[in-house]
Amino acid sequence: MSTFTIPVGPLHVALEEPMYFKVEVEGETVRNVEITAGHVHRGVEYLTTKRTIFQNITLTERICSLCSNSHPEAYCMAIEQIAGIAVSERAESLRVMASEIKRIASHLFNVAILAHLVGFDTLFMQVMETREIVQDLKETLFGNRMDIGANCIGGVRFDLDSKGLSYLAAQLLRLEPQLDEIVRHYRTNTSILRRTRGVGVLDRAAAVDCAVVGPVARASGIAYDVRTKAPYSAYDKLDVPVHTLEDGDVWSRALVRLAEAKTAIDVLRQCAAHLPEGPTGPRERPDVPAGQAIAKCEAPRGELIYYVRTDGSRCPERVKWRVPSFMNWDALRVMLADAKVADISLIVSSIDPCISCTER
Amino acid sequence: MPESLALLLSVAVFPGGVFALGLGLALKGVDRRLAARLQRRVGPPLMQPFFDLVKLTRKRTMIPDVACRAVFLGAPLAGVVAMLLAAALLPVPGLYEPSPALGDLLVLFYLLAVPAVVLMLAGSASGSPFGAIGFSREMMLMLAYEIPIVLVIVAVGLKTGIGRGEGMTLSLTEIVRYQRAHGAFLLDPAMWPALLAFLAFFPANLGIVPFDIAEAETEVLEGPLLEYSGPALGLFKMMSAAKAVVVLGLGICLFFPSGPDGLPGLAVHALKMLALMAVGVSVLRVSAGRMRIDQAFGFFLKWPLALAVAGVAAAVLA
Repeated sequence: MSTFTIPVGPLHVALEEPMYFKVEVEGETVRNVEITAGHVHRGVEYLTTKRTIFQNITLTERICSLCSNSHPEAYCMAIEQIAGIAVSERAESLRVMASEIKRIASHLFNVAILAHLVGFDTLFMQVMETREIVQDLKETLFGNRMDIGANCIGGVRFDLDSKGLSYLAAQLLRLEPQLDEIVRHYRTNTSILRRTRGVGVLDRAAAVDCAVVGPVARASGIAYDVRTKAPYSAYDKLDVPVHTLEDGDVWSRALVRLAEAKTAIDVLRQCAAHLPEGPTGPRERPDVPAGQAIAKCEAPRGELIYYVRTDGSRCPERVKWRVPSFMNWDALRVMLADAKVADISLIVSSIDPCISCTER
Repeated sequence: MPESLALLLSVAVFPGGVFALGLGLALKGVDRRLAARLQRRVGPPLMQPFFDLVKLTRKRTMIPDVACRAVFLGAPLAGVVAMLLAAALLPVPGLYEPSPALGDLLVLFYLLAVPAVVLMLAGSASGSPFGAIGFSREMMLMLAYEIPIVLVIVAVGLKTGIGRGEGMTLSLTEIVRYQRAHGAFLLDPAMWPALLAFLAFFPANLGIVPFDIAEAETEVLEGPLLEYSGPALGLFKMMSAAKAVVVLGLGICLFFPSGPDGLPGLAVHALKMLALMAVGVSVLRVSAGRMRIDQAFGFFLKWPLALAVAGVAAAVLA
């Protein structure tokens, strides 16, 4: 049988962002994949050197909407290292809370898309409805549904009073049973299982070779999580279990994400229960001397690394980041090998690719 | 009224033509609203399919450079005509019996295959690789579901024929008359395997989840329909609306044609279609995900085929 080429992307209903897969198929089976990127390059890295150190918090937040808290978080941590600023314990806990709230919303979004891709729109609607609880929470606590603007250099820009904490507790109480129900559906529903089990497999050895990070690595049995390997903010004081599964298929990646969303609820409760007293941020803008630093955090998609170099002027000399999707999308070659055409979009979405982060 | 004129009216106005299209689009509207409510959405107005059609007729049909123009435009037209003809071939229990001059169940069976063939033609004529994938998927699916549906028709034909003391009958009119006199097959446990096989067949024929494989939006971007726009796409919408009426009507004629005579009979017929649409289409498509083509192929060669064979055996023996 002869092969022919089908274009998946750059604009494709199943891809949330532009990416071009030139897929050679033989009947329904994929024989070769060429990945072309670069459609949403906006020159953000260059732009960071034209903005002041403080403006860059806002700029990095706008690289991507789903990891919009992780970028400024890592950026601020790098600047704090250079300037030698100690963040108060209260601010550290609040940072953890902001990023865990974002994590729940991000994971639920990806899991919902999976249901949509297998044509199970009812489950998609249900998960998105559950996610709306988290969106309400963000809007109430931070005043915004996606870009929450939580971080500043030396602390956070928001504070939680008793009213905020009780609203958080109430929303988590609403969220938990619904999340349990969603997990049950993904574990038992035949429509989901028959399309996702054994699809897009990335075994442990291949995962190590590709150096994948985040839920993709953990679904292939690699217990790597920045929150426990190199704890930052308040994570060293918190109990954060790392969820791993061995199969490395689309289903495992979804289940790991759901388990992490569950854990995030637990982490939020731990933070809320032991929220230290103290200031949330510095009164004045600190001076940032010349220097360089690396900071990393666990974004919803995995390890996010920031490198910042300053020269004592108002603007940073160089800002460079490595996003989790950059590591993960190379593994697509392994996952897509001999896949079915029907599963291409499912597999691509299972690494939760964040194109706008990667191409900036 | 001369017979030729009556035939023409039956194809163009009632029960084919305008009536079948109107009913099909109305059913589609109900389906969309019901599915939306089941998913906790508000859903479109009930008239939305009509609005869509009007909108499409006012747009331009874009024809790809690589497309085969005649087939690209001819295919949807052939599909609509075939479906309107098929609608005229179906009795409306208690109100309308098709003229034998139009054809019998065999003709109807072949007409039912036309939409799938038309989609294949359209897919390959459009010159799009997604159309080509849609083509092969549609063909595999059709091969899988055609055998069970033939056996279902044979089972019903045999049951009626044996009941009347003769061989197999292929006249839908006779099948409807027999059931209206002796009770619907729906209530006869011996016919249930065939009924179940039919219930598996019609979602595949209508191309809804879990069998919307050939037109899967998230996989092959609606496959054969990808390159269609404007009035040509509108023709496909008309085809699928009329097809819903034909397939649902066929199910009612084969298994449950009971009801009053005259116009009340038409109302009961439409209500039965609505019920079958609600349960068999709306509820089904919101409660499952899509199968992969190999899974669907395997499914049809297992359960519906076994059920249909059992149905034939039960029809002969019981």
